[in-house]
This record gives sequence, structure tokens and C-alpha cells, in this order.
Amino acid sequence: MTTAFLFVALFVFLFMGMPIAISLGLASVLTILFFAHDSLASLTLKLFDTSFQYTLLSIPFFILSGTLLTTGGVARRLIRFANTCVGHLPGGLAIASVMACMFFAAISGSSPATVVAIGSIVIAGMVQHGYPKGFAAGVIANAGTLGILIPPSIVMVVYSAATSVSLGRLFLAGIVPGAILGLMLMGAVYWRARQLGIPRRPRASMREVLVAGADSIWGLLLIVLIMGGIYSGAFTPTEAAAVSVIYALIVALLIYRDMGPLKGVPWREPGEGIDHATLRAFKQVPATFVTGSFHRDTFRVLVDAGKITVMLMFIISNAFLFAHVLTTERIPQEIAELILRNDLEPWMFLVVVNILLLIAGNFMEPSAIMLIMAPILFPIAVRLGIDPIHLGVIFVVNMEIGMITPPVGLNLFVTSGITGEPLTWVVRHALPWTVILLVFLLLVTYVPILSTWLPDMMFGPEIVNLRK
Amino acid sequence: MISRFFDRLEEGLIALLLATMTLLTFVQVVLRYVFNSGLSWALEATSYMFGWLIFIGIAYGVKVGSHIGVDVVVKRFGPTGQRIIGLLAVVLALLYAGLMFYGGYIYVDKMHILGVEAEDIPIPRWILLLIVPVGMAAMFIRVLQSGWAILRGDAAGLKLADEAGDMIEQFRATEEAPEQKR
Repeated sequence: MTTAFLFVALFVFLFMGMPIAISLGLASVLTILFFAHDSLASLTLKLFDTSFQYTLLSIPFFILSGTLLTTGGVARRLIRFANTCVGHLPGGLAIASVMACMFFAAISGSSPATVVAIGSIVIAGMVQHGYPKGFAAGVIANAGTLGILIPPSIVMVVYSAATSVSLGRLFLAGIVPGAILGLMLMGAVYWRARQLGIPRRPRASMREVLVAGADSIWGLLLIVLIMGGIYSGAFTPTEAAAVSVIYALIVALLIYRDMGPLKGVPWREPGEGIDHATLRAFKQVPATFVTGSFHRDTFRVLVDAGKITVMLMFIISNAFLFAHVLTTERIPQEIAELILRNDLEPWMFLVVVNILLLIAGNFMEPSAIMLIMAPILFPIAVRLGIDPIHLGVIFVVNMEIGMITPPVGLNLFVTSGITGEPLTWVVRHALPWTVILLVFLLLVTYVPILSTWLPDMMFGPEIVNLRK
Repeated sequence: MISRFFDRLEEGLIALLLATMTLLTFVQVVLRYVFNSGLSWALEATSYMFGWLIFIGIAYGVKVGSHIGVDVVVKRFGPTGQRIIGLLAVVLALLYAGLMFYGGYIYVDKMHILGVEAEDIPIPRWILLLIVPVGMAAMFIRVLQSGWAILRGDAAGLKLADEAGDMIEQFRATEEAPEQKR
């Protein structure tokens, strides 16, 4: 009865067009007021206390570093590098676009942001070179989902906060599956491009590869800094996120100069002597570090990142309330007993997990799903002997698929926005590629070693910690 | 004029809090490695700032429409239907803000009577938690304003984020032709 009220209220509020955060929060508060005896004051405090979860503190930092580097300049550099590497293959531009999405995913923790940054540039380029527009858009909409699988990933931060699984391990766990999905998409592009007879382009010289690589290395080093810092034990993931903001600020203001006072000022003017350019750099760079921090571009980035942080954290803190109601109602325990009593095999349980998450992914925001489903599914998985890290990767891949399936798949909306085509057109062209993601989901679900190999090798075997 | 002032104030506070949180966490790392020391209050201060950021941002988000929701179902109704559902949603959102304001007020009041200080920062806890009722009151006012907009016929419902549109717009802004400078 109580549970029914909770869920019915949630869905009624959601479909009335209320913000997700308020729907979750109001459904939980009303349920507690009607059926339980928690005081209103303690609930309100719970809402505020979300900000005291150390892992979640990394969210604003990852959003901020992602926002600083989500610029046309960074995207162009990554795309150029990818093009020099694989551009000469059949379907080279599209394969390079998938590769650029993988690179960008290592800078940004968001899937739609990956689609916007890479797609805004490559889709038009591919059309110019004789690729059908639908082909280009479909590939990018799907490859963009890598944003949340390849670290850093905000969805992984939320899973880690919900289950107290190590975030460093989870980040590492995303790397191998991310590379595999990238390769699978590239393979499919190759096959399809040969079928369509798309003309090949000349191979880039080694020199061009190196120049483009050196130019894009500053962006790519971000992920090395984050993963290296966490792995070596130099920083906690939250500290790594804060350090990555400072690094991203230096790259954006001083090295790439996509924003701030030096925007449009080259390192070396045409015809300028190297001595003069060096001298100018010595004068400009330190000064800009100060003026740039107070520049209106920096202010804009802070406000934009703050807005996204608040929107996400408001959902997350209300989803915690919702999860709190579920646990006080002993829902997870009851479902766990039901499943364990019926001797559900682990593989059957994983089928159920995937179906549940795929459905949920069609209606809800990924972080909210993580927080509602993880407390229910996590304890069962542990008792069935499923690795929590493996489960986390399964969660993330399901959320990826949710982002490219209607009605609320955000990747579809941004693809529609950047191509100027209607949503139905995007859906029609994205769906065939989504089959690859479904095959990949099966692969990840039933070959756990893909997810657990890297973290186990780097950190040693894991100790399962059942907190709740 | 007053609303312009609040715009600047809210955005300024959001930017300031986010920047300070980042710097404080970064400085902690630097202190640990370079000076082998640390600030005992930094983590707690950062966490409170995070809380303030969120509670200041909620009302701001209602105003600028940055909270996300699902509107596929509502869109199927006619204009009158949409307005009725919109007004109902406003009432429910007011209920939420009202309840949370009340809960926050009780808690702050209790803390005020007990006079407890935060663990590492020498500031009374009730002051640090004051943002909860204040933020919820601000949200209440912003939702009321949306309700008024619906009644006047200026809006069909609570303003939801066009997340996709915002993201594209933000990205395009970085692509503007740079001004020539020396």
C-alpha cells in the first residue's frame, strides 16, 4: 500500500510536467507524512546533508572541468588528431568521429555534451565528403553515449555514492568496455561505409599525425592526470576532480586560448620572430592567469556549471529521500527475499536487471535511476556473487542505451538540435546503431572480466563492503 | 531594477561558491604535498558551501527554468488542459517548498535553542543551516511567480529546462569569432 502510493504519486507528478527533483521529493515526503513517523525536520536535514557526501563533492568539479574544455577549439583538435590516425580507412571520417567521441569522453563526464561538441563539427564535415546525413547523425548519437562509460563519468560518481563502491575502481572498470564499444562501432562503420562505397581519403603523413597529436595532447592529459592521480594514491577522486579544474582552466585560458583575455591571440604571430614571441609569452602568460580568473568568460563558465550542478544535485538529494523511504519500507529486503527464495540464477537475475534498467532509462534521469535502483539491486547482486563493479558497469551501459531511446533520450534531442532535423528522423537513423549497443550490453553483462580485469589488476582483488 | 540586482546577486553567489569550493579543495592538495600540512576546517567549509550552492541555486533554477522534467504527456493536452495541469503542478510545488521550509525552520530553531557549533568551523550551526528555510522560501516565491504567469496566460506550466537547447547554445557561444586583440 505504502509502496504503491509512493510510486503512483511519483509517476503522476512526473507526467504532470513537474521537475523530476520535486516529483521525487514530494512523493517521498507525502508518503512519510501519511504512513511513517519521521519528522519533517529530519527529512529536510537529509536533503541538506547530501552535500556532505564526500564522493558527490566531485560532481561540481567534474562538471566544471568538462565545461571549461567543451569548446569548439578542443573538439576541433581532437577531431583533427583522430582524422590523421584513421581518416584514410574506408569510412575514415566516421571512424575518426567515433574515435574523437572516445577522446572527448575522457575529458567530459556527460554523453549529450560529447554529442554536441563532436557532432556540431563532424556531421557537417561528413556530409561535405559524401556521407549520407542520417549515417553521420546516427553514428554520432550512439558514439556520444561513450561519454558516461569512459571516465570521468558523473553517472559513475552517483553509483559510487549510492553503493559505496570505490570510485577509482569504477572509473578504471569503464576503460576496457569503453574501448571495446568504440571498436565495435568503428567496425560497424567500416562495414557500412564499404557497402555505401564512400570514397577514401589519402593517408596523413607521420609528421601530420605527430603535429595533430601534440596539439591535442593537452586536452587528453586531463584523463591521465585524473586516473594517474587516483591510481597512484596521490589524490582522492574528489581531489583529482578539483585538480582537473585548475588544469582545465590553465589549458583553456593560457594554452588553447579558447576563452578569456587571450582569446584569438596566437602564441606566435605570422612573421613574428621566435625571440619576440617568447618574450611576449613571458609577459602575457602570468598576467593572464590573474586577469583570466576574473574574466567574464570564466564567470560565464562558473555560472553555467553551477546551474547544471544544482539541477543535478537537487535531483540527487531528492532521490536519496526516495531511496530512504524505500529502505524504511523494507522494499529492497522483500524483493531480495523473493528473488533468493525462488533460487533465481545469477544470469537470470541479470536479465531482470537489464530489463528493469532499460525500461527505467526510458523515463528517468540516469542519476535518479541509479539512486532508486541501486539500493534495491545491489544487495541481491552481492548475495548472488555478482561483482559490484561489474554491476556498476552494467548500470552505466543501460543508462547509455536509455540516452538514445525515445521518449526522453537526451542524445536524440541534442542530435536533432545540431542537425536541424526532426526527432523522428534522428530516431530512425540512430536506432540501427543502437543494436550494436544492445549486443555490447549482452557482452558486458555475461563477460564480467571485461569490467573487473583492469581494476583488479591495478588495485588487487576487491573486498566487498556491505554497508547497508 | 530590483530583479536585475537579484539576477546578478544569485549568479555572483553561485560563481563565487563554486570557485571557492574548487580552490579550497585544490589548496588542500597543494598544502599536503608541498608543505606537508592541511587546513582542518577546509572539508567542512567546502561541504557547507556545496549545500549553500545547491539551496541558493534551487530558486534560481526555478526562475531561469533549469530544472528538468518530462513534458511528453502534458503536451498532449489542449491549451486549457495544459494550464489546469500547470496550475496544479504549481500548487504541488508550493506544497513541497512549504513543507521543506517548515521542516528547515523547525530544525534551525532547534539548533538555535541548543546553540551548537559546527564541528570544525567556529560558527553556530543554525546560521550555517539558515540557507535551508531561506532557500525554500525563495523557491516558494519563484514558484508563485510561475503560477502568476500561468494565470495571466504568459506560460502553459512550470518552466522546464530545454537541456538539449541550452547545451547547444553554450557550445556555440565558444565558437564565436574572437575579437582581434593585441
